[in-house]
Amino acid sequence: MSEHHITPLKTYLVIAGALFCLTAITVWVSYFDFGSLNIIIAMGVATFKATLVALFFMHLLWDDKKNLTMFIMSLMFLGIFITITLLDTGFRGGVNPEVEYPINKRAAFYDSLPLTDTHGNPVDEHGTDSHEGDEDHH
Amino acid sequence: MSHDNSSPDFLQHHFHDVDQQYETAKLGMWAFILTEVLTFGGLFVAYVVYRSWYPEMFVGANLLLDVNKGLLNTIVLITSSLTMVLAVWAIQQKKQKLSLFMLIATFLFAFMFLGIKYLEYSHKFEVGQLPGEYYSYMGPEVAHLNNPHIFFSIYFIMTGLHGLHVAIGMGLIAWLIYATAKGNLHSKYYTPMEMIGIFWHLVDLIWIYLFPLFYLI
Repeated sequence: MSEHHITPLKTYLVIAGALFCLTAITVWVSYFDFGSLNIIIAMGVATFKATLVALFFMHLLWDDKKNLTMFIMSLMFLGIFITITLLDTGFRGGVNPEVEYPINKRAAFYDSLPLTDTHGNPVDEHGTDSHEGDEDHH
Repeated sequence: MSHDNSSPDFLQHHFHDVDQQYETAKLGMWAFILTEVLTFGGLFVAYVVYRSWYPEMFVGANLLLDVNKGLLNTIVLITSSLTMVLAVWAIQQKKQKLSLFMLIATFLFAFMFLGIKYLEYSHKFEVGQLPGEYYSYMGPEVAHLNNPHIFFSIYFIMTGLHGLHVAIGMGLIAWLIYATAKGNLHSKYYTPMEMIGIFWHLVDLIWIYLFPLFYLI
C-alpha cells in the first residue's frame, strides 16, 4: 500500500457543507428556549460536527484503526475525569447534614456582643440593682 | 526520483520502508493528539464543575459575548480546515501549486481568526469583563449574576489556550508553505503536511465545542 487513500474532492466539499449547515442550525436553535434540553441539543450538534471532522478531515475513517482507538481512548479518559470530579463536586453539600439542613435556621451566636437581659437591655455584670425599675415599663 | 523505490532519500535508515515510516509518524501524532485532548479536558472539567455550581450565572454571562463574532470565527475556522485538507488532497495528486495556494489560504484564515479574537478581547479589556480579581464590569445585565468573573476566568483561559494553538498552527503552516514552495514536500512524501493537518483539525474540533459552550448556551 505504497499509495495512500485519496479521498474524492466531492467528499470534502460535502462534509464542509454539512459543517456549515450544522453551525447554522445550532445558532438558530439557540434562539429558542427548550429549558434543560438546550445543553443537550447544543452538545449533540457539536459532537456530530466533531465526528465528521475526525472521521473525514482527520482521515480516521480510512486510517489504521489503532489511531481511532487512541483517539476514542482519550475521550473515554476525559469521560472518567468529568464523571469522577462531578461525583465529588456535585454532592459536597450532603457531606455535612447540618450544613444542608440547619437544625434551627434562626439560631445565631452573639458571643462577641455585650450581654443583655431578656428585654435587650445591657446587663451590668457587676451591679445587681440596675434593673430595679424594669417593672414600670410594662 | 533518482533513487530506486526501496530507499528514497526521505526514508530514514531506522525505518523498514516508507509505509512504516508514515504509519509510525501518524501513530506518534495521535499520541500527541491524545495528550492535547486531556490538556483541554482539564479545562472542560473546570467548565462543567463551575457550570453545575452556578447554572444561572453561566446562562446570564454568555449573553455578554458577541454571538456574531463567534459565529464568524466558527465559519472562518471550518473554512480553514477545508483548505488545509484540500492542500493535502492537492499534493497527493502532484498539484503542487494548488497545494501551495491552499496552504496560504489556510494561513490567512488563521490570521483572520486571531484578528476577530483580538477585537473581542480588546472590547472585554475595555469594559472590564476580565478574569478573577481583574473583573470590574458592573453593567445592568450582571446586576443579578452571582460571580460572573468565574465565567470570564474560564472563558479567557480556554479561548486563550485555543488561540495559542492557532498561533502555533500558523507558525507550522508557514513552515509548510516554505517546504512546499521549495519542493521538499511532494506526492511521495507529504507526511509533515498530513500531521500538521491533523493538528489543525484538532484546533477546529476544539473550537466546535467552545463556540456553543460560551456563546450559545
